[in-house]
Amino acid sequence: MSFQVMLRELTTGFGSTLMIFFLTLLFSLPLGMVVYFGRVSRFKPLSWLVKFYISVMRGTPLMLQLLLWYFGPFYLWGMNIGGYKFTAIILGCSLNYAAYFAEIYRSGIESIPIGQYEAARLLGYSRQQTFFKIILPQVVKIVLPSVTNEVITLVKDTSLVYSVSYIEMFALAKQIAAAETTVMPFFIAGVFYYIFNFVVAWVMEWFERKLDYYQ
Amino acid sequence: MNLLEMKHIKKEFSGLEVLKDISLEVKEGEIVSIIGPSGSGKSTLLRCATMLTKIDSGEITYMGKKTVWMENGKPTVPKKSELKEIQSYFGLVFQNFNLFPHYSVMKNITDAPIHVQKRDKTEVYKEARALLAKMGLSDKEDAYPCQLSGGQCQRVAIARALALNPRILFFDEPTSALDPELTGEVLRVIRSLADLHITMVIVTHEMSFARDISDRIIFMDDGVIAVEGTPREVFSSGNTRMKEFLGKFHQG
Amino acid sequence: MKKKTVAVMMAALMAMGMMSAVSVQAGIEDKTLIVGFDAEYPPYGYMDENGEYTGFDLELAQAVCDLEGWELEKKPISWDSKDQELDAGSIDCIWNGFTMNGREDDYTFSVPYVDNSQVIVVAEDSGIDTLADLAGKTVGVQAASAALELLQSEEEGGQKELADTFGSLNEFADYNTAFTELQAGALDALAIDVGVANYQLKSRGEGFKMLDETLNTEQYAIGFKKGNQELCDIVNEDLQKLTDDGTVAELAEKYDIADMVTLTASDDASEETTENAEADESAASDDTEAAEESDDAAADDASAEDSAAEEAE
Repeated sequence: MSFQVMLRELTTGFGSTLMIFFLTLLFSLPLGMVVYFGRVSRFKPLSWLVKFYISVMRGTPLMLQLLLWYFGPFYLWGMNIGGYKFTAIILGCSLNYAAYFAEIYRSGIESIPIGQYEAARLLGYSRQQTFFKIILPQVVKIVLPSVTNEVITLVKDTSLVYSVSYIEMFALAKQIAAAETTVMPFFIAGVFYYIFNFVVAWVMEWFERKLDYYQ
Repeated sequence: MNLLEMKHIKKEFSGLEVLKDISLEVKEGEIVSIIGPSGSGKSTLLRCATMLTKIDSGEITYMGKKTVWMENGKPTVPKKSELKEIQSYFGLVFQNFNLFPHYSVMKNITDAPIHVQKRDKTEVYKEARALLAKMGLSDKEDAYPCQLSGGQCQRVAIARALALNPRILFFDEPTSALDPELTGEVLRVIRSLADLHITMVIVTHEMSFARDISDRIIFMDDGVIAVEGTPREVFSSGNTRMKEFLGKFHQG
Repeated sequence: MKKKTVAVMMAALMAMGMMSAVSVQAGIEDKTLIVGFDAEYPPYGYMDENGEYTGFDLELAQAVCDLEGWELEKKPISWDSKDQELDAGSIDCIWNGFTMNGREDDYTFSVPYVDNSQVIVVAEDSGIDTLADLAGKTVGVQAASAALELLQSEEEGGQKELADTFGSLNEFADYNTAFTELQAGALDALAIDVGVANYQLKSRGEGFKMLDETLNTEQYAIGFKKGNQELCDIVNEDLQKLTDDGTVAELAEKYDIADMVTLTASDDASEETTENAEADESAASDDTEAAEESDDAAADDASAEDSAAEEAE
C-alpha cells in the first residue's frame, strides 16, 4: 500500500473520529449541566438517582458501557440493532462524558463564594438571572482547565469504539498495520491525534486568554 | 413615619441564641450605628433585616408594609411581586464588597438598574457616572474589580447599592476588610452620604466615626440591645459592658 | 434551558433512531449478506493496497453473493465481540478463517473449506526446533483464537499439557504487535494458524521460521447463528458450485493457500461446468433449467455433508 493510500484511508478514519468527538461534545457539555441540576436537586430521590448514575458512569470502563449500549437493546428486548451502532456510540460517549462534566461543573459552581449569590439577591436579580449572568460566567472560567483535560481525553477515548467494531482512525491503523505488517500507520495515527489535540489545546487556551481580563 | 420596624426578632443557630427578642425602629433620614463586641449579633441583625437570614420569630415592616410576620407560629413573607417591591426599598454594602469580578466597574453599577429595574440605559449610565464622580472614581469606569484597591472596591460597592435608589442603606462593617490606611476614603464617602440625608444603618467598629455621624447609636451585647440613644448618651452610659467594650477600644 | 436541552437531545436521538430504522429496512429488501470478519487477518480478510477490504474469504463470499444476486456487506468486527454481533443479527455470518473444531455446538457451520493447522513460529536464531524446546519459554497466542482454545483444552487432541510446560502463555490482540514482540524478544514463540504464519513470514522476510511439528490439524468453516440452517444450506450449495467451476481453486492460487483448501469438485463436476457455460450463452429459459438441476444436486450434497459432519464429531 502506498503512503498516499495509507494517508487517505487514515484521513477518512479520522473523519469518523472527529464526528464522534464533536457529536459527543455537542451533547455531553449541555447534558452535564442537566445532570448537575439533577445532582443538586432538592427532590432527594432524583438526586440519589443521579448520584448513582454518576458513580456508575465513572466507576465502569467506557468500553464496557459502549458494549452495553450497543448490544443491550438486543439482549434485553431482542431488538434488531443493525444500523444502530453509531447512535449507541454517541449515546454511550455522551452519557459517560456528561457525568464527568457534571462533576466538573459542580466543583466550579460550589467554588463561587456565597457572597456573590447574596449580592445578586440584594440587587434584585431573579434566580435565573443570578445563575446565568453572575454565576455561570465565573464558573466557565474556573472549570475551563478541567474541561480542557476532559476534552483531550475524549479525543483519545474515541479509539475505544473499536470494541463495538466501529471503524475509526485507530481501527483502520490496526487493519493497515496487519495487512502491511508495518507499524507505520500507528505513527501516522499518533501524529493525527497529536496535531488535533494540539489544536484543541490551542483553542482552549485562546478561550482562557479571552477570560483573563479578570481574576 | 418609621421606615423600618423590627419587633421581637429572635434567631438561633443550632441551639445558640444569637438574637434574643430584639426590637428596633429606623425613621426616614435617620442614621443609626450598631456597635458591640464580636459575636454580639450585630451582623446577624443586619442579615435578618435584609432577609439574607430567616428569622425564627418576630415581625419586620418596611414603609408600613408587612415584610415578615408570624402566621400559625411560622414566619411568613408576602407573595413574590410584593416582596420584590419591598426588597427594592433597601440595599446592603458587604464587609468584603462582593463585587462581580467578571463585570467592569460600570457594569457592576449599571447592570441591575438596567436588567432588574428595566430602566432606561442612557439615564442609568448618566446617574452611574455621577455616582462614580461622587466616589472619586471617575477614571475607573472600565476597570475590573481585581485592578482596584480594597477601598476603591468598597466605594464601587456603595455606588452599586445606591444606583438602585434604595430608601435605606445597610452597611455591614464596611471598613473591616480594609487596610487601616484605606478606611478613611470609605468613611469619607459614607459621611458625604449622611450629608444628603440618606437613611443608613451602619454596623461598625469605628467608634469616633459612629459618634460623629450617627443620630442614634445602638450598643448590642449578647443578642440584646444593651444601650441605645444619642452618641453622647451612649458613650457616657454607665453600662459596665459598654464601658468594658470602649475600654478595649481605647487600649487597642 | 434545562427543558430545551433535553428536548433537543431527545429529538436528535429520535432522528438518529429513525435513520437507523430506515437503513435496516433497506437491508432486508436488498437481500444483503452481511459478513462479519476480522480485518486484521490476512490473507483471509484484510485491507488491500487501495484501502479496500479483500482476502480469500471475502472474495469467496463475493462469489456466493454474485451467484445469489445478493449485495455483499463486508463488516469488520472486533473478534472479541463476534458472538454478540452474530446473536444480535448485526452480521449474518462469521466468514474469516473461523476454526470450527471445538465450536460445533455453538454455531451452525458450513462445510469446512480450508484445512488449517496451528503452528509455532519462532525467531530463526532462537534454537527452538521442536515443541519440547518450548518448555519454559514465553509463548504468544491471539486472544479468543482457536490456538488459545487448543492450548487450554484438556480434551482429546488438546494441548494443555504442552501449554503447561511453557514459561508463560501471553495473549495478544493482533498479529502485528505479536510479531513485533517476537522480533524484539519479548516473546519466544507464537502459536498461530498456518495460513497466517505463511502470510506473515512471506511479507516479513527473513528472521522467522515455522516448526515442522504442528499443534493440531483443524478446519475453517463459515459460522452461522445456531439454527440458521436455511442460509447455511444456500451457502454450502454455492460453495460446491464455485468449487466445481474452478473459482475456488483460482482464489486459493491467488492467495497462496492452494494446498490448504479442502473443497473438492463433485463427481459430475466437469459435466456441470460445461452445462453452466452453455447456459450462460443460451436464453433465459435454459437458465431456469440449469438452476433446477443444480438445486437437486445441492440437496444430495447437503445430505452427504450432514453425514460427514456426524462422522467428524
